[in-house]
Amino acid sequence: MRDFFGKIGETSAFLFAGVGRLFDLFASVVRVVVSAFYQKKVIKSEHVFHQMVLMGVDSLAIICLVGSSVGMVLALQAAYQLKLFGAVIYTGSLVSVSMARELGPLIAAIVITGRVGARMAAELGTMTVQEEVDALTTMGLNPIRYLVVPRCIALMVMLPCLTVVADVMGMLGGFLIGTIGVHINPYLYLAKNFDALVLKDIYTGLSKSGIFALLIALVSCHQGLSVEGGAEGVGKATTQAVVISIILIIVVDCLATAVFYYAIPT
Amino acid sequence: MSLNPENIVEIKGLVKRFDDRAVLDGIDLEIPAGKTTVIMGGSGCGKSTLLRHIIGLLKPTEGEIWIDGENVAGMKEKDMNRVRRKFGMLFQGSALFNSMTVGDNVALPLREHTDLPNEIIRIIVKVKLELVGLTGFESFMPYQISGGMKKRVALARAIALDPKMVFYDEPGAGLDPITASMIDQLIHDLSRKLKITSVVVTHEMKSAFRIADKVVILHKGKVLEVGTAHEIQNSKNPYVQQFIKGEPEGAIPFYQTSDAYLKGLLET
Repeated sequence: MRDFFGKIGETSAFLFAGVGRLFDLFASVVRVVVSAFYQKKVIKSEHVFHQMVLMGVDSLAIICLVGSSVGMVLALQAAYQLKLFGAVIYTGSLVSVSMARELGPLIAAIVITGRVGARMAAELGTMTVQEEVDALTTMGLNPIRYLVVPRCIALMVMLPCLTVVADVMGMLGGFLIGTIGVHINPYLYLAKNFDALVLKDIYTGLSKSGIFALLIALVSCHQGLSVEGGAEGVGKATTQAVVISIILIIVVDCLATAVFYYAIPT
Repeated sequence: MSLNPENIVEIKGLVKRFDDRAVLDGIDLEIPAGKTTVIMGGSGCGKSTLLRHIIGLLKPTEGEIWIDGENVAGMKEKDMNRVRRKFGMLFQGSALFNSMTVGDNVALPLREHTDLPNEIIRIIVKVKLELVGLTGFESFMPYQISGGMKKRVALARAIALDPKMVFYDEPGAGLDPITASMIDQLIHDLSRKLKITSVVVTHEMKSAFRIADKVVILHKGKVLEVGTAHEIQNSKNPYVQQFIKGEPEGAIPFYQTSDAYLKGLLET
């Protein structure tokens, strides 16, 4: 019994310490961003743009593929169920709303965690192991300013963009299935698709994806910079970065949805 | 706290504990300006830890570290970054940035810390690479050059901002004897030509006695002996003699005594 509670205490202490370190990193990032407003050469735009290309432009194809597949699956499942009530024409509405509110941001964030988060953790982890981060520090270059901030900014710009792409591709996938597979009139499908959407669906989805981007970047950079002990450490940090990011994304998604749709009056 | 103007670095009563284990146990050390000081000692004696304290990567548990008239122990990161511009550091594994070319690696401190135009930076990079004998290697990537060349690029990067002192962590580690002695020659030339203070951490005897003006021997986190290369070679201290001759048996025993062995077995 004592062991059991001991274990719980240990795990929660570990968890809170982790969250605390993440907030520490966040605070340092905010300090750097704020100082960029009154000092020059704090954040270099070419570093940010370089990261934006690596994270965003290079992820476009995979986001299109996953987004359209999810849209198609959604349309197939929705049409199957809605047929029972003779409401197949509402397939478009269901696909568009669920893509914009939930699945677009969530799927884009999870794909980007696997693709970009893992890459960030492994890259920074290897740099830590090879003393490159120490070298930066001894040159008087703050690793948070030089490595973490450009990645955070780049991902916070690119993930919402990729989410829009995922939303549109999901709706397109739904449209293809709805019109070709389930034989809904294309005009009717599009009308229902856009009738159901309201502006709130879009901006809540996009603000969520902004939060997810910050989470992915912070978790992955933190894991990378705290690597200890060679190749094994880098492997562990990469796995941890992906697992922790995905868990946090889903938990925060739950909280954010509760806040957006229940706490804030419409 | 007055500081002897002849010393660029002074360390007083430096203690570092990891948990309860004291890795540095009261180090007092003076590093004279413009000279080459070699810090030697066996593996795990705390010499790399000492270096990491001087460059501010670790904070001491107790004690003072004076660099060029400023106590850096407990200094804020912002002030520390100002002090860091006075020195360069050559890491054991070179620590070149693998995503940048050799030229960009050397140019990085210049681009970040100065407002010099690109053409000037290109010229400085060329000069620094020439100093280490790597003219024309600007566009190579770090993975395209050998370990010895990487060390030399890292050295060019360390002296890019014309520092007052350069720290070397095991400069000859992992290099063949010829390349290692070339690096030693380079260290020697740099301190002579550019009047740079050099602090070299190593456990390689030959190289140490070749370049040192002053030798410091560490043992178990304490300063065991300080002197010129000649004085150290003629030291009466049995530990020092065992160390410089590289003998497995001596003041530091290789085998435990049978009593100690028995005691160790029965403990647990």
